[in-house]
Amino acid sequence: MKYRVVSIEQSILRKNDALADGLRARFAASGTLVVNLLSSPGSGKTTLLQQTLARLSGRRRVGALVGDQATDNDARRLAESGAPVRQITTAAECRLDADMIGRALERWEPGRLDALFIENVGNLICPAEYDLGEDLRVVVFSVTEGEDKPLKYPLAFNTAQLAVITKIDIADAVGFDRDAAYASIGQVNPGISILETSARTGAGMDGWIALLETQIERKTSARALSVR
Amino acid sequence: MHELSVALGLIEGIQNSAARDGFERVLAVHVRVGALSGIAPDALRFSWKLASAGTLAADSMLKIVDVPLVVYCERCACERTPRPASGLICPECASACPTIVRGRDLQLVAVEVPE
Repeated sequence: MKYRVVSIEQSILRKNDALADGLRARFAASGTLVVNLLSSPGSGKTTLLQQTLARLSGRRRVGALVGDQATDNDARRLAESGAPVRQITTAAECRLDADMIGRALERWEPGRLDALFIENVGNLICPAEYDLGEDLRVVVFSVTEGEDKPLKYPLAFNTAQLAVITKIDIADAVGFDRDAAYASIGQVNPGISILETSARTGAGMDGWIALLETQIERKTSARALSVR
Repeated sequence: MHELSVALGLIEGIQNSAARDGFERVLAVHVRVGALSGIAPDALRFSWKLASAGTLAADSMLKIVDVPLVVYCERCACERTPRPASGLICPECASACPTIVRGRDLQLVAVEVPE
């Protein structure tokens, strides 16, 4: 059959990127810091977030959106902190996208938030591609996971501004090689900040909370300036 | 793993182009898929059959061009393709190359339509 070629040249993620820009504008207007947490299953993302919400709740208005393929166990765990939490069940989808965030926000009235945490689906491949309009992308990685993980999933580490190494309390017991882990993170993202935490013992949590407080202040004052 | 939603995104892009460029049927679709895009070409081809059924692109062929990962090496001052599963490391000088030049592509390039 005779045919002609019609050139389109359009990113398949264009729609997501446009929706993410919309979310960014919305969160800039409300002065809400948005943190997107990426990790493999079992990294301790939920425990880290549970402690984070508990520590920030008294002083700041914080909330969380939690993506999971099935069950609302994580959302229920997080809600124990008293912070508003909403579950996004992704079913077959392996990541959250900007459209899912937008739709979850439509039916959720947590009031104005200083910070919104988005717990992505446990997966280090697909979520890396999807901009959710976040200010801060955090890749969470536990001492049990293998120090070369950043090399296996370079995009997640390359696009994050911060890496949090969790379960640091058991680092020695599992033979965690700190130098190797830092080297592999540095190989995919030399500019990234790295924090070590244990949500169980509380080690490193003060530094993590202080960092979030600084970011919240920055976002709130940016809003105050634009409102004035 | 999100190949089906990518396939649905392709259909949407094609439908928009059909309205703009005046075609009603598609014979083949050209896409570029980067090595870092997280998309498995075989899974995308499988998803394509499902996503295109009953649309203007039903029974069309999906032509995938694989785009290898290319980074910029500051030390060598040129573009390099890292060895597989070595992260973003220059294969020549072994320095870290965080600047990704190509390989994140997920692009609807063109369609072939009947004359």
